[in-house]
Amino acid sequence: MSYGYAGKILKINLTTKEITPLDTALYEEFGGGVGIGAALFWELAVVPGDWDLQDAFDPRNVISLMSGPLAATGVPGAGRTSICGIAPETYPTPLFHRTSLGGRFASMLKLAGWDGVVVQGKADGPVWINIVNDKVTIEDAKRLWGLNTYETQGQILNTVSGRTRFGEEWNKVGNGYTTARPQIVCIGPVGESMSRVAALIHGSGISARTGGFGGVFGSKNLKAISVIGTGGIKTADPKAIVDLRMEHLQNGRRGAQPGAACCMPCVNPDRRRDSYYGGESMCADQYWSREHGMKAADVAIKWGICTWATKFGGAMDANMPNAPALFKGKVPMEPGMGWYIKYLYELGILGPGKKIDSYPLPMDQWDTLTYREIFCDAIARKIGIGADLAEGIMRAAKKWGRLDEDLNSGALRLPAYGASWHHTLPGVDWAYSYILMSGDPIWHGFFTSLSGGGGFGGGPQQTAEQVVTKISAKMVPFSDDPLMLSNCWKGEEARKTGIYSEHKAKMVAWARRFAGFYNEAMSFCEMMLPSLESISPDIEYRYYRAVRGDGKTFADTMEVGRKIWNMERAIRVMAGRHRDHEQFAPFMYMPGATFKIMTTRPVYQDGQWSFENQEDLYLDRDGVELFKTNYYKLEGWDQKTGWPTRKTLEGLGMKKVADLLASKNKLGA
Amino acid sequence: MAESEKAESKNKKVLRREFLTGSGAAIAAGALAITATDSAAAAFAQPAASDAKPVAASTGYLVYDSRLCLGCQSCMFACSLTHEGEANPSLSRIQIIRDSPSFTKYPFDVVMSLCRQCVSPLCVQNCPTGACYVDAANGNIRRIDQSKCIGCQRCIQSCPQRPHRTVWDPVKRKSTKCDLCADAPFWSQKGGPTGKQACIESCPVKAIKLVATPPNQTDIAGYDINLAPPPPKMGGFGMGAPGAAPKAPAAAPKAPQTAPKTGGN
Repeated sequence: MSYGYAGKILKINLTTKEITPLDTALYEEFGGGVGIGAALFWELAVVPGDWDLQDAFDPRNVISLMSGPLAATGVPGAGRTSICGIAPETYPTPLFHRTSLGGRFASMLKLAGWDGVVVQGKADGPVWINIVNDKVTIEDAKRLWGLNTYETQGQILNTVSGRTRFGEEWNKVGNGYTTARPQIVCIGPVGESMSRVAALIHGSGISARTGGFGGVFGSKNLKAISVIGTGGIKTADPKAIVDLRMEHLQNGRRGAQPGAACCMPCVNPDRRRDSYYGGESMCADQYWSREHGMKAADVAIKWGICTWATKFGGAMDANMPNAPALFKGKVPMEPGMGWYIKYLYELGILGPGKKIDSYPLPMDQWDTLTYREIFCDAIARKIGIGADLAEGIMRAAKKWGRLDEDLNSGALRLPAYGASWHHTLPGVDWAYSYILMSGDPIWHGFFTSLSGGGGFGGGPQQTAEQVVTKISAKMVPFSDDPLMLSNCWKGEEARKTGIYSEHKAKMVAWARRFAGFYNEAMSFCEMMLPSLESISPDIEYRYYRAVRGDGKTFADTMEVGRKIWNMERAIRVMAGRHRDHEQFAPFMYMPGATFKIMTTRPVYQDGQWSFENQEDLYLDRDGVELFKTNYYKLEGWDQKTGWPTRKTLEGLGMKKVADLLASKNKLGA
Repeated sequence: MAESEKAESKNKKVLRREFLTGSGAAIAAGALAITATDSAAAAFAQPAASDAKPVAASTGYLVYDSRLCLGCQSCMFACSLTHEGEANPSLSRIQIIRDSPSFTKYPFDVVMSLCRQCVSPLCVQNCPTGACYVDAANGNIRRIDQSKCIGCQRCIQSCPQRPHRTVWDPVKRKSTKCDLCADAPFWSQKGGPTGKQACIESCPVKAIKLVATPPNQTDIAGYDINLAPPPPKMGGFGMGAPGAAPKAPAAAPKAPQTAPKTGGN
């Protein structure tokens, strides 16, 4: 008995219409979620060797929607759906990317008996996948094609649930019974037309909002996946799970509510958000167009657009010294496509009849919800400027001849691979993850914990030395090195013990391993855990042990995280990744690179620890190169190329991966 | 709700009420359709509810606030984990039904379905074998002794609530129901009406509460009550838009009436 897993993964080839159950046990060494998703991608998309992994819309692209073994076990916040594959949105080329969504999809997959769904090929016409326990069918979606995501889910709901009224009866589903509704992931018109900024949508307000995977569904003629299940998941120690649940409630609160047996730690306020449809709405989406809050999020969700790189605003503004004068120094935290076209409009470059013709966007109504609707429609149908915008903000800026200038000036704040600014600095662990991965890591692990309990609007409640001592002690296997938490960025000290040093490499390695295992494979909501200033990583590990009971130590789980990280690395290397590509946009090396929120960080200088306000932090090119060398060395990757070595891969039990890399001359020396 | 839907809804309720009050067997339309075994078929010859003797009232009742509930199902997982040793929402004795992924607006998007420990329990009165019984040793809670259950589903068909609060286990082919954790083999706490309940303890917003006095039995208003603390201050990520604090729950409209108003218990 392998506790926590449903036991099977659903493989669907839309070209051949083959539906194949895979044995999850074959992939358990990769944990779950993105770990198993990456291993499946390697097996199904890389190993065949008939594809250069460059075109996200190629039928040979493989997209997986995976759960982790903690989903549907009663562990709070661990039911996220991890999604990975080649993503169309990243720049300059599509890259292997991972994203995720909350809600109940992954949990329901588990209850239906599946640990995940992996889709390859391309259907010859619009289809949707209907999973009812172990019965899986590929259904005709001609009548759904063109519908928005709300209409799509409503139609599928009626098809699967029949006319049973919500909340009134138990439904017989296969051999079981449930009061639940089918859970659906689908695309809207933006995804159907293979835009690079299309999201996967779940429910009335949950989206996988980075990467543009909605376009991958569109390229496969896949409108939706629906699942309903009536089974259960066996766990090693059910009593301990409920006890931990109570302990967690009493001790662990940081921002997000640890309140969900599925993944919805944020649902507390969501039920009452000012949205026309109400329901489950992810907080990040409400900032797509801040002026309109959830009403605008409804528009984005309905059309199925990525709310990240297309943002009109951002969660908050900061007074940036190098911001365009038009904005009086104020720039949103995630300045996306919506904000950028307003910027160009104000400059007189974009507009009706201008160099960049804005047709059909009514630029004089930029502030209105109507504009947001037209914006989505233009992208979905690729009308006028919509055809450029559908390619994503980087490609659009390049076509308009603006890319170099605006990345240099900082007007276009996209640090790497087209992902928006979002907390890249002063936390350099966050920034480095941008270039080592495929964009925004969206991992808040050190975001508040290193401010000494300051959080939003408060000052440090502990000394810097107390904070780094306490937190570094938890960071197995690097727990003997508090210097890794120093954010010193100036002078020789930055190279010796600070942000470019071999110490900092350990912090980044720990973050990627922890996130790889606990957030991406065990699918814990990263806004909820880790909470390093309080209960982490102890609580995550004890949840894992209660569910799995496999005897792994915490250090063992971090090794699985390392294995997942190397699997992802191997895929990116096969797709062409090289040390030379791991670069920041030019503005990151200029004053004004740091977002002026939560800028207090611990700094070690002249033999002493202190908290420093790092609002003025920016990077040094040579320093970043030094960091890369230090980091590759620590990870056992070739320092010239950034490619994993045979020794590293074989040490992780990945000899076959090393062999394939070697056969393509992409193995590190 | 469209007028036609309202009319349909009203008709449904009338039909149910007629069914419930007009038939002692109380076999509601739409209930689980399972082929009765021989012993189960024989059970239908048992005395009807109207002939049953009054039973002692329970000393414990779960009341709840459907406007406060997150719909997160923590209670459902806790219930099935502690009772069955398996995370299985379909076997949970408490059902939290969230209209997801459909788009019902707050507060009509969540239905909380908990056993009412009815003062006049039709499940007990209609059980042909005594498997569904009043547990005098545990504060008169209404329980099911699965060793005596023959799987006839009379308790399920008798339950006047929608969805029915007695739960069918399709693998064991037996019924089960809320026992206030009196017999929860995987619960580390003492359960029962004088102890702690896994659903209450695992609820992050304290939307469920144990009370000793029988709530008003005639509709759901006695059970679905206001348990809200003062609205929390929101701030930061994951806690809602700045300044978008929730409205006071007390001022919100009532949750939908999912049980017939004349419940018969």
